Amino acid sequence: MRQKEKKSLSDKIRYRHRYVGKTFILLILTVFQWTSFLPVVFSGETDGFFSALLLCVYVSFEWMYVTVMHFAMKKTNFELEFIAFFLSGIGLCLIASADGSKAMLKQMITVFVGVFLYDFILWFIKDVNRVMKIRKYIGVIALPLFAAAFLYIKVAVGPINGAYNWIYIGSLSVQPSEFMKIVFIFVGAATLDKLLTSKNIYLYILFSMGCIGVLFLMKDFGTALIYFFAFIVIAFMRSGDIRSIAFICAGALIGAVLIFIFLPHVAARFETYRHIWDDPLGKGWQQTSVLMYTVSGGLRGLGIGNGRLRTVYAKTSDLVFGMICEEMGIILGFVIVISFAVILIYAIKCVKNAPSSFYSISACAAASMILFQTCLNIFGITDLLPLTGVTLPFISMGGSSVICCWALFAFIKAADIRAYPQTYKT
Amino acid sequence: MKTITKRAYAILIFVFAFFFGLGFMFYTFLAEGEQWVTHRCNTHIFSKNGLTVAGTIYDRNGAVLATTEDDIRIYNEDESIRKATLHVIGDSSGYIATGVHSVYRANLLGYNIVNGIYPILSGDSDSDVRLTLDATVSKAAYEAMNGKKGTVTVYNYKTGEVICMVSAPTYDPANKPSDISSNPQKYEGVYLNRAISGVFTPGSTFKTVTAIAAIENIPDIYERTFTCTGKYKTGDGEGDGEVICNGTHGKLSFERALNVSCNSVFAELAIELGPQKMTQAVRNAGFTEGVPIGRITTVRSSFDVSESTNLDLGWAGIGQYTTLVNPTQMLLLMGAIANGGTAVNPYIIEESSSLSQVKTTESTAIKLSPETADKIGEMLRSNVKNYYGDKKFPNLEMCGKTGSAEVIGDKSHAWFVGFSQREDFPYAIVVCLQNGGIGYNDAIPVANKTLQTLFSLQGEM
Repeated sequence: MRQKEKKSLSDKIRYRHRYVGKTFILLILTVFQWTSFLPVVFSGETDGFFSALLLCVYVSFEWMYVTVMHFAMKKTNFELEFIAFFLSGIGLCLIASADGSKAMLKQMITVFVGVFLYDFILWFIKDVNRVMKIRKYIGVIALPLFAAAFLYIKVAVGPINGAYNWIYIGSLSVQPSEFMKIVFIFVGAATLDKLLTSKNIYLYILFSMGCIGVLFLMKDFGTALIYFFAFIVIAFMRSGDIRSIAFICAGALIGAVLIFIFLPHVAARFETYRHIWDDPLGKGWQQTSVLMYTVSGGLRGLGIGNGRLRTVYAKTSDLVFGMICEEMGIILGFVIVISFAVILIYAIKCVKNAPSSFYSISACAAASMILFQTCLNIFGITDLLPLTGVTLPFISMGGSSVICCWALFAFIKAADIRAYPQTYKT
Repeated sequence: MKTITKRAYAILIFVFAFFFGLGFMFYTFLAEGEQWVTHRCNTHIFSKNGLTVAGTIYDRNGAVLATTEDDIRIYNEDESIRKATLHVIGDSSGYIATGVHSVYRANLLGYNIVNGIYPILSGDSDSDVRLTLDATVSKAAYEAMNGKKGTVTVYNYKTGEVICMVSAPTYDPANKPSDISSNPQKYEGVYLNRAISGVFTPGSTFKTVTAIAAIENIPDIYERTFTCTGKYKTGDGEGDGEVICNGTHGKLSFERALNVSCNSVFAELAIELGPQKMTQAVRNAGFTEGVPIGRITTVRSSFDVSESTNLDLGWAGIGQYTTLVNPTQMLLLMGAIANGGTAVNPYIIEESSSLSQVKTTESTAIKLSPETADKIGEMLRSNVKNYYGDKKFPNLEMCGKTGSAEVIGDKSHAWFVGFSQREDFPYAIVVCLQNGGIGYNDAIPVANKTLQTLFSLQGEM
């Protein structure tokens, strides 16, 4: 009895020590965020003052979240959360600087919603058996809902930038395809005892084709590609069947070629690919601007507020990588995108000790999805890949995108053995 | 559990692919960044009035040729200097594609991938460029051209420094005329640097090339005697089949034939040499390759006698027919002759903090033996000494050849190409006045005025 008390006391001390380590990281984060915000605050406009107030809220939220989670929920590690807070903070800073405090407020609220959803999903998937029971129903409900959302957009809203993927609820705009990503991974991942049953995988293939089909009808080809990539990762991890996957990829490739041949208006969307300098003021404007201004900034950047990419359409959404490079430096831009690769490596490393193959598969799929989306974004706007108009995870302006990224992080976090300290304490 | 771990590790292939893509992206930044950052659409450096930031361009003596004040590009205070150096410096809007403003824009911005263009935007950049040009000589050349179109280019044939490269028609970049597009007669090809991008019928200056071919291929050329009857009958081709001479020279030697620029003799020599040897001579003279001037390369000359009659070949041998020559290539040939067979390529950037260049490079295009160079050099000296007269070029010990290239339906182009033999004055010159008249009457005075200005400046130093 006495020994037990002693142990818990030393545990408590260790706990406090760990918290000190976390405050140190929080402090660095806070300093970085305030430093990067200084040019916004001192831009000479009253709007900068409001942005500063909002930043106060955001920074306090970070501190509160870590403190509460540490002491009340007994969470031990916060690496992913720190990265997500860091990335979201960069997004907020650029949005405040280029779009004003109102846009920042909107984005910040969605970050909070994202954090909430992150913890909700983390709680929800704690019980794998519950997940396995319920995921079928979620799949059955979500796919028709997704299709219905498309029909609603097609009839009632109409295309935005050529794609049918926005629903308007009052002044709120929602992208159903972003939320569907969460369902897609949730439905796809399976436990070990279900891995090799072929019926399961055929149902999942059907579900995936349904999702990707709707995305095609929405003309959101970038997101369709992201889904397809996640599908390949999940299918591979579930079956390990390289031949089937090669077969599916070949089929998809043939499908893509057929689309290009028979639907010339689709092909026309990609005609500027590798020809952006033919029309630098017209069709190639966004990408040529990204290239010109990215290198103008050099490795260290021109400073926030001094860039010119902020005059270009979609500066803080699709083109935000260029804006980071121009104003904050190519080094920071690369650090950010490399952090997505590090997260995938982290997910892969977690697989070894993950409590269930559900966590392994969903973590790898979610992290692959995020890195793949990063690839489509940064290589698209620099004309190395065709431009598909997807966002940069966590940073780009867009509530649905930010919420979805936080939600996807929950799957990655769950694969870490330390995620559920009480359950798996050794 | 183990299989799924293995499968997870297979995803690392994708991570590698990502890093490869990122590396490739950075490589494109390194390889093409300079092109992107200097693009006209970059609003950091361009407004609708042209370049808003860029370093100062100096001439060899430190005179400011172009600089930036309050986001506006301003030029030398002397109007003639502004006009005379426009084509080398380039306009601030980038219409003159071969100007320093266009070709060396990244250097003027002090751009590099580490700092981007931050230094010049914040005003502490070291992005100035010093040229080899001499503003005073350029001004003298421009004024001597007296409004005629064409080019005057002078370079040091030992070091390669370009002292003067004037191209006309030109305009004042400080007060850009409004009628440039509405007056195509006056401003014909105004954005072209004729020394770099122009080709002209060479006329009698081309006889230098024919003479070189004769020296190298006809052993008894100096012993021969020719007869000029005022024309040379080839017996084929259109019309009478005759190459008309500029006079009736009677009996004359090879050297005298070059002195008086006898068409009959050189047409006869070209036909005797034949199309293959003539084509080879043109190639050896470096006319088939553009002359590199730093990052700029001149256009190539054209000479094609592959399907010509003897009459055509005769005309080609005296620089007519379809032959077109770039003035700088002619200058380089003069440089090779003056420098004992080895031509030094010209350059225009003397000093730039962000550009390290090997300045003096030898041309590989010109293949001329030292013996031939001496022989043709003596003949060019003889031209001035025994025919044009040294009075035309006081103190300069000039060698050279004039040309009056006939142009259908217009006045002839007046040419003078040559060089000084003085050890302390190693300069070669090309004067090409488009529809400017007769070489002897019109081009020689321009050449002399330009060189005398340079000579007197050198005396002061």
